Amino acid sequence: MLASLTAIRFACAENPTTETARVENPTEAKPVDTPPPSTSPVLAGGIWAIAQLVPAPLLVLSSDHVGGGVRWQITPFVYSFGVAARPVRAFVVDPVARHSGAVELYASPEWVCCAPNDGTGWIARGGARIYLPVVGRGESLTWSLGGSYYRASGGGGASIETGLYVLFGTFGLTVTASPALARREIITALTIRYF
Amino acid sequence: MNPLRLLALPLLVALAGCGFAGRVIGRNITASHEPRRIEHKIRDPRRADARLAVLWIGHATILLQMDDAFILTDPVFTNSVGELSPRLVEPGLDPRDLPPLAAVVISHMHFDHLSYDSLDMIEHKTKIVLLPPGARASVPRYAFESRELDRWESYDADGVRVTAVPVRHVGGRWGIDQTWRTRAFTGYVFEYHGLSVYFGGDTAFDEADFEATRTRFPNLALALLPICPTEPRDFMRHTHMDTLEALDAFSILGAARMVPIHFDTFINSDDKPGDCPRLLREHMRERGLGDDRVTILSIGEQRVLVPK
Repeated sequence: MLASLTAIRFACAENPTTETARVENPTEAKPVDTPPPSTSPVLAGGIWAIAQLVPAPLLVLSSDHVGGGVRWQITPFVYSFGVAARPVRAFVVDPVARHSGAVELYASPEWVCCAPNDGTGWIARGGARIYLPVVGRGESLTWSLGGSYYRASGGGGASIETGLYVLFGTFGLTVTASPALARREIITALTIRYF
Repeated sequence: MNPLRLLALPLLVALAGCGFAGRVIGRNITASHEPRRIEHKIRDPRRADARLAVLWIGHATILLQMDDAFILTDPVFTNSVGELSPRLVEPGLDPRDLPPLAAVVISHMHFDHLSYDSLDMIEHKTKIVLLPPGARASVPRYAFESRELDRWESYDADGVRVTAVPVRHVGGRWGIDQTWRTRAFTGYVFEYHGLSVYFGGDTAFDEADFEATRTRFPNLALALLPICPTEPRDFMRHTHMDTLEALDAFSILGAARMVPIHFDTFINSDDKPGDCPRLLREHMRERGLGDDRVTILSIGEQRVLVPK
């Protein structure tokens, strides 16, 4: 953001007056407008990548077990049925493309930890999710429903999940149920997603 | 208080050390949630006595009448923008009282200019919404057509011509996207029946851009120019004109009249309500500009600038 701002030339006028600024004959004087600022793909990609590193904190629940963890997500495919143009997105997904109504395929690495008498572990998850706008074209409230397949140290299995999101989808609460995932049957996530 | 604003409290705490951002969020969270009411709101904005009339609905939302054609700029009718920023004064016109519109224009993607809920409110008042380059992909699907206009590109319908003109601002909506969305901002010139009007949207001072517009549109009857936010100046100067720069822009554009916009409706800076119009009046006095050249409207006020 700052780099793009500083890339913009700031032409401070020294008190231009009507007379000095006036173009008497438009056919002779052809002022050139300032070109739009350009962007560095590396900078833009880097900023987007940093945003993806923000994890979603997890609360891991089972009948005799409470733990924690973190989850990340990448979104290789989104079909948005809520936007006016460019319904298919990959990886870089505007909040409105997702939360005005969309179907997405996602991949999520999860790291679970912090439960007494239990070790840490990784869960790899891939799934699909549908987002439906509830209030304000999804900017104020969105509901999601999805399913996924996971792989963990004890094997693989299926999960179902649902979620609610506010503030342009930046904050959400999702609940993932995995009946066959021992000691991690219910995982609640505070999702923090920014693109 | 809107419960969503409470969600911003952690953000406020996180930004507490960031000076400006923390101050603005804090002022928004603690601001009164009920916007000030407008007495005697106009119910029928159609003026039979006007060739050119302006109704300031608030912020950058202007209902422009050019003879029998009506154009609406940056429509925002909601009680808050960006979920967190409450409106200080209610809209100067009920969206139900809008006449059929020849066009609606959006200058850029920020929440105080592109409001999805507000577009819902006017969805059946217009057939076309014009957008800056790259914006359509971030606009929901509505009943009206949406179309992007690149710089100097025009839209023509029923004698009304809208041309996108260069301004200097930023193109993002959610923050970091302005890093890659670098062109989604614009100004516009409206032409109808020999009248032409400039709408600056939200812009920093850029002499080259204003001169280029003046060259192509040498007979502007009116310039709608933003005068706020101004403080902190070192931060704002890259994206917003202050009152003095707005008068410079008015001068460079060579317009016959100026109506200031983009002030005293939302909290988006260190400026206090009333600061910007007060400074503008001071600079007008210094330059010998009266109400016949620079017309400061109240929200909800309509003025005929060119009578029939």
